[in-house]
Amino acid sequence: MRTRRLLAALAVVPLVAAGCSGTATSTGAALTGTAPYDDRPVRPGGTLTVALSQDPDALDPTTANTFVAREVFASMCEKLYDVDADMKVVPQLAAALPTLSNGGKTATIRLRQGIRFNDGTPLDARAVRTTLVRDLTLPTSSRTSELGAVRSVTVVDDHTVRLDMSRPFAPLGAQLADRAGMIMSPRALARYGKDFGAHPVCVGPFSFVSRTSGNQIVLKRSRYYYARAKVKLDGIVYKIVTDANVRSANLQSGDIQVAERIATSDVGSLSADNSLKILAGGGIGYQGITINTANTRGTDKPPGKVDTPLARNALLRKAFELSLDRDVINRVVFNGLYDPDCSPLPRGSAYRDPATRCPKRDLAQARTLLKRAGVHTPVHVNLLLAADSVTERLGQVVQAMAKEAGFAVTVQPAEFVTALDQARAGKFDAIQVGWSGRVDPDGNLNDLITTGGSNNYSGLHDPVIDDAVHRAAATTDTAERARLYATAIRRQEQLGGVIYLYHERYFLGTSARVAGIRYYADGIPRFTTAGYAR
Amino acid sequence: MGWFLLRRAGAALIVVALASVVVFLGVRALPGDPAVVLAGENATPKVVEAIRHQYGLDQPLPVQYVDYLKQLVTGDLGTSTQDKLPVSGILAERIPVTLELAVLAMLVAIVIGVVAGTIAAARRGRFPDYVATGFGLVGLSVPHFWLGLLAILLFAVKLRILPASGYVPLTDDPVQNLRRMILPALVLGTGFAAILMRQTRSAMLGALSADYVRTARAKGLSGARVVGVHALRNSLTTVVTVLGLQLGGLISGAVVTEQIFVIPGFGKLTVDAVLTRNYPVIQAVVLVTVVGYIVVNLLVDVAYAALNPRIRLAGAADG
Amino acid sequence: MADVLTPARLAPAATGSGRTRRMWRRFRRRPMAMTGLVLVVLFLLLAVVGPVVFGDPTRIDFGHVLGAPSLSHLLGTDDLGRDQLTRIASGARVSLEAGVLSVALAMVVGVPIGLVAGFYRKHLDSVVMRAVDVVLAFPFLVFAVGLAAILGPSLRNVVLALGISQIPAVVRITRGEVLAVREQDFVAGAIADGATDRTILTRYVLPNATNALIVQATVAIPGAIIGEATLSFLGLGVQPPTPSWGVMLTGAQQFLSQAPWLAVWPGVMIAATTLGFNLLGDGLRDVIDPRSAR
Repeated sequence: MRTRRLLAALAVVPLVAAGCSGTATSTGAALTGTAPYDDRPVRPGGTLTVALSQDPDALDPTTANTFVAREVFASMCEKLYDVDADMKVVPQLAAALPTLSNGGKTATIRLRQGIRFNDGTPLDARAVRTTLVRDLTLPTSSRTSELGAVRSVTVVDDHTVRLDMSRPFAPLGAQLADRAGMIMSPRALARYGKDFGAHPVCVGPFSFVSRTSGNQIVLKRSRYYYARAKVKLDGIVYKIVTDANVRSANLQSGDIQVAERIATSDVGSLSADNSLKILAGGGIGYQGITINTANTRGTDKPPGKVDTPLARNALLRKAFELSLDRDVINRVVFNGLYDPDCSPLPRGSAYRDPATRCPKRDLAQARTLLKRAGVHTPVHVNLLLAADSVTERLGQVVQAMAKEAGFAVTVQPAEFVTALDQARAGKFDAIQVGWSGRVDPDGNLNDLITTGGSNNYSGLHDPVIDDAVHRAAATTDTAERARLYATAIRRQEQLGGVIYLYHERYFLGTSARVAGIRYYADGIPRFTTAGYAR
Repeated sequence: MGWFLLRRAGAALIVVALASVVVFLGVRALPGDPAVVLAGENATPKVVEAIRHQYGLDQPLPVQYVDYLKQLVTGDLGTSTQDKLPVSGILAERIPVTLELAVLAMLVAIVIGVVAGTIAAARRGRFPDYVATGFGLVGLSVPHFWLGLLAILLFAVKLRILPASGYVPLTDDPVQNLRRMILPALVLGTGFAAILMRQTRSAMLGALSADYVRTARAKGLSGARVVGVHALRNSLTTVVTVLGLQLGGLISGAVVTEQIFVIPGFGKLTVDAVLTRNYPVIQAVVLVTVVGYIVVNLLVDVAYAALNPRIRLAGAADG
Repeated sequence: MADVLTPARLAPAATGSGRTRRMWRRFRRRPMAMTGLVLVVLFLLLAVVGPVVFGDPTRIDFGHVLGAPSLSHLLGTDDLGRDQLTRIASGARVSLEAGVLSVALAMVVGVPIGLVAGFYRKHLDSVVMRAVDVVLAFPFLVFAVGLAAILGPSLRNVVLALGISQIPAVVRITRGEVLAVREQDFVAGAIADGATDRTILTRYVLPNATNALIVQATVAIPGAIIGEATLSFLGLGVQPPTPSWGVMLTGAQQFLSQAPWLAVWPGVMIAATTLGFNLLGDGLRDVIDPRSAR
């Protein structure tokens, strides 16, 4: 329901944006995403070619970290749980949501019966245990921290597992609805071990066929999938096309049928093309500017004293924020297609503080704050950002806006990995950076603004924030969690370690002939029921 | 000949060894390492450390280098950190793509360059000469990537007669493959056509005034035959030299062209590997390029001698 | 860049103002060369006074985004509403800096190496030439991308990358000149008269190498200008908001269907400038070394 509203609202946005920015091609363009699910009947057969924006890392659910890998997994690695259109956790391979006992420290998960992996092996409690133990113990596992509180996994019977945890752990369901919940075929694990990523076998509508590095990943319809009657496509080819303009061009020429992350500058002209459709999704992540307040030697080291004007004085950080106009940034850089906001939690999230009001741009107030701080203007700010043309455009707009309040912003583009390295090491004044977002609010705050978090680039170390975030993760009461997150976010706003700017949206371009794709706020297109319309 | 080859092989080995050390140390001097890239949003210090351990990056540099050499000797180029696929397999997929682009571009360059150069020389100082010379100068002055942009703008965006980009393997569908390779090959070939044209023209002019050609003319051979057989044959030496010299330029050009037309070739692999700090791939790419450069130069020298027996190999080997 | 240069074997006495005047007279008679000179002078003028005349190239105007060419903006505006003409004028300076500084770097490093390698032959020579081989064989883009990662993408990075990649050519040319001059009678005479190595290098060898190096510079500068544009186009070079012609084309690529005019002028400027230098270079080569003029 919420997604429906969001999409309806979005359909109006480009009209307004086009009116303001004056780009000829987007005038009159409306998003055809008002029906989030195109339920036209599809004919059996056909292959869908889907353009991904990046080359995924190894297709091993235990170690994978890229967003694009999650998109590929969505077609071939189902999870204990999934999320629905409202980002609510629902059972997928599990038969029901986990049953909590022992004061929330034990979760019992019942599995669906009669499910087979794509190599024909039956899915049972032992297979689930094998996967979860691998996730928890493999040294290179990226899931260990996600399953943080889980201490042991026990097979209760053929179709039931029990997880024992060190403390109540609210995000468990959401984590098992992501890579940590993808169950791998024990036979394939035994055979390939560390090389599982080159021969992934899970439960899914499609099974892995081949991968050519940097070029494509080929999947075909699974013989063993429990709901194979619903799967109409013969197969899916994920092609890696890193350039957004090229994805658009190939979509228009019909070389591909689906392209993820259409550039906002192309959304208008593609929507105007009758042979194409644009679906809007995404929005659970955020983008902003992180200001280094205490990260002197790296996020894994204790905080220190950063000697920059912005780090010394919270008034200046507030003034910097007030000099920025989130709406203009959205309009100029993103054609008005993103969602300007000052909270790390998505709009419409049950955990979001309903009282959230973003400060409007206020130059007078910003100048007053600068005066009150008693600093000489211009205040110099070095803004580190990833060297790609859209981010650089964002940097230039920030530079122009902050200048009017008395900040001399130097835009310092760095190649992405270098920027990441400097962010972690604390070698920056301010950095434009974001977060792809997690279904559970804990994933958008914990580790990002809590003391010692590896993604806490600012070096925030505040007991109020830590306490609220940790207590919220240990409660399952939604209202109580919402209250605690509101406390943490308000405290963060006072400290000004992160200036949240907007929620990014993903635009999925598809051929008008293709129906049955599900595209949600998590930005992962699901092709289980997709196909060519009759 | 044998002695010459032996000496060249020795020098080549030194160059390869030096280059391997340079790249080995060079990639490790880059900020950030594959572990940080791979760990991405989940980069807790523990995970980063585990990944570093997995790729042996926690070892001292000399140990890492010796391990790398040991691997190399057994013909193992390692595993790509990005997707954990064997590097040799990746190279086997990518190199043919770039080779196809390079060969097509070279064909374009040779056809346009040699023909235009020959005509210009034969019609020296007349209209065809001015046209060809003008083309040569403009061709030299226009950057590849801009030509690529204009070509996409004209043929794909405005006229919509050719696809803007993408790649279809030759073995899958030769027609689609060629349709997608035409623009990149033309764009990449033009610059080299200009260089070849200039060199061919001046070499032909030299050859036409040489004694043996004059003799041939005096013997009553037709102008076309003189130009076609005698002068052209001798000018080929120049062409071969230029091709050898331009190989490096061709590879850099291919990188940019692949970037614009999104062709999954060797060049794109190179750039992507550096951007993701994919050490094994970077090392392999550099090694292959260096070896390729040396082999081609050797071939050029041999071809040089074959085309023009008066040049002795010992002389060609110098410098 | 591939042009194989014939070393100009000239006696030391042949340099001087009389010779320069003679060369200028010959140069003036070549329309192509003069066209080149005019183009280069225009470019230099634009690079030096352009930024002063046209004003601030980074002025953003959110009201005129991607405007088509009009009377107020002759070449249109870009995605941030900045005037294209102003940015092109400023871009000339970036191109000039990249071209001149990188070639200067290559000369400053390459000439002494070439002199020493050619003069002292034997072991030193083969060491130097192997090192030159490594630089030549090393894929340029790996080097440029790596440098950008370490130093951050910037003009400095471009100058370093292009400069270093030019060094082998300079070393080879200088060395070739040294080898040629060494065999000349007047040098043999000077050595017999007990002249020091330094005297021979600076008084006899270097002046003779100068001509070849000047010609090399006119070939290398346009190469470096295209190189800067290419690296900036790939995001490895000059960074926004500084206007470089390559950066402008990167921006233009994103709006190819909406604002095709953005893709035209920066490219025309690169081509015209490069053409100018190439014509000038051809002309200079013809006058300096008449035997290569055919």
